[in-house]
Amino acid sequence: MNQENLTYINVMLGSLAIIGLYSVLWRENLVYRTVEHIFLGLAAGYAVVGLWKDTLYIQWWLPMTGKLTDDGKFDSPGFWPYMLLFPIGLMAYTVFNKEKSWMSRIPIGIILGLWSGQQIQIYWNKFGPMIEASMVPLIPTATDSFFAVPTTQLVNGRIEQKANAVQILANLYPTEAINNLIFLVTLLSALAYFLFSVDIKGKALMGFNKLGRWMLMIGFGAIFGSTVMARFALVIDRLAYIWQDWLKLGV
Amino acid sequence: MWKLLADAQKIKREYLFLVLVVSLSATLIGLKKALPQIPDSNSMDLYAVMMTSDPNKPVFIQSDWTNSTRGESRGHFQGLVRSLMATNRKFVFYSVADPQAPQVARDAIRTINQERKKQGLREYKPWDDYLDLGLFPNAENSLNAFSNSIKSAWGGRRAKDSTGRERPVFDSPVLQGVTKIEDCGAYYVVSASNSIDIAIERLGTKVTMGGLVTGVMGPGMLPYYRSGQLKGLTIGLVGVYDLEYMMEHGINTADEAGNIVVKNRTKPEQVIPPVPEGTTFGQGATNNLALHIALTLMILAIALGNVGMIAKKKLEGGTK
Repeated sequence: MNQENLTYINVMLGSLAIIGLYSVLWRENLVYRTVEHIFLGLAAGYAVVGLWKDTLYIQWWLPMTGKLTDDGKFDSPGFWPYMLLFPIGLMAYTVFNKEKSWMSRIPIGIILGLWSGQQIQIYWNKFGPMIEASMVPLIPTATDSFFAVPTTQLVNGRIEQKANAVQILANLYPTEAINNLIFLVTLLSALAYFLFSVDIKGKALMGFNKLGRWMLMIGFGAIFGSTVMARFALVIDRLAYIWQDWLKLGV
Repeated sequence: MWKLLADAQKIKREYLFLVLVVSLSATLIGLKKALPQIPDSNSMDLYAVMMTSDPNKPVFIQSDWTNSTRGESRGHFQGLVRSLMATNRKFVFYSVADPQAPQVARDAIRTINQERKKQGLREYKPWDDYLDLGLFPNAENSLNAFSNSIKSAWGGRRAKDSTGRERPVFDSPVLQGVTKIEDCGAYYVVSASNSIDIAIERLGTKVTMGGLVTGVMGPGMLPYYRSGQLKGLTIGLVGVYDLEYMMEHGINTADEAGNIVVKNRTKPEQVIPPVPEGTTFGQGATNNLALHIALTLMILAIALGNVGMIAKKKLEGGTK
């Protein structure tokens, strides 16, 4: 059987599996269940092989046993202490035994310890620049235009830097100030919504708190909209696979 | 009238699915209409990073997508790889998220290579032009190791050279001159999971990072873009089309008729050319119209459902 026929069979099986999986939209059925279980089995099997081939063999087995060159000569020595990792890893599975389950805490503790140690540094890496970017000016410093003006201009078809570009860059125009104000109000009101340790009293504070809730809802709405779009993208891609890759229509 | 509208709520969901499938299929088979696009500023910044990174330095791609998000991520990955190949940039790819991820990336690269062969363009060769490092499990610890020393983290990895002999990856022409993570030209994360957060936390201060993420991830990534932790960002299928549109038209670049199709109004000085060779329009252009039709149908269905609900309440005397 040539490569072209194999590819066609591959695509055909894929398309039939897609139709089988989407048949659940009509109702739960045997075809859907069968395809679902095949998919889960394949994914689990693939993960096991992938973990051995790409991870354990390269990062643990080879360094532990040492390497030989292609012509059988000594390349690098084995590092036997890596053997100790094996029983530590196995301890994780003692969670299934009531008497020995305490041992599973050892590998979990090591992983949690490593993770916790990293958090100290990465917390600032993650949130530091965001906090810095939140410190935005609110009072306009430029009055020659309401809108921000570009730092370049078109001269005889060429883009050139304006002579006073540095001055312009330093200016804050009213439109930018309004933008910054909206950002700051959104940020503070959303944060205020999570103030649970103090009693929120007074119309103004409660109103600000409520505004925060609205802002969060708008944010969640945007996330939900994006999620729907992502799901549509997936179904469109699957239909494209059936019509274009399998049936060769719409090519 | 009210009765008719109230009955709209009785439409079975199976029929709604049928309308959706028929409409999308008709679009994919027959309606070949490339819609005009105004790329988002974050997409423009990503394309600018892609085209202006040092061509002599390899690009690192953290490819963490699988078939479950190929509707968006495959388009992102293909757009990225097509641009790198068209501009002769070497690259390294790996995953820190899923055992299936390296294989789907390999398949995507093979497809692009076949496409280039048909067009009479140079095929990208493993070892000489790009490196496949496979999977690094446990994103937190793997990326931390990359941050500390890629010589140690990647030192055990081997790949076949052009003669078929397995050799350490640092012998490859791709990694010549690379001793630490900072030596890459740019670092891209194609992701549908929080592996991009983990990359930003550990590598964000050391590399020029760009994100190509799914629609679900998009809103959560915007703060990183706003704070400059991500130098560019494309989101979802719309982002795929953004990227392809700029690969075709460039940014602030006049075409043969003298028209500038993609204008970056906030950075008029930024002139980024289109890619010089190969395919530009792909999955984004093919599926963009279908996405618009799907979203329109959904909006209509929501509107119809709500009007039906109001009509039903009115008939029952619940709403004045």
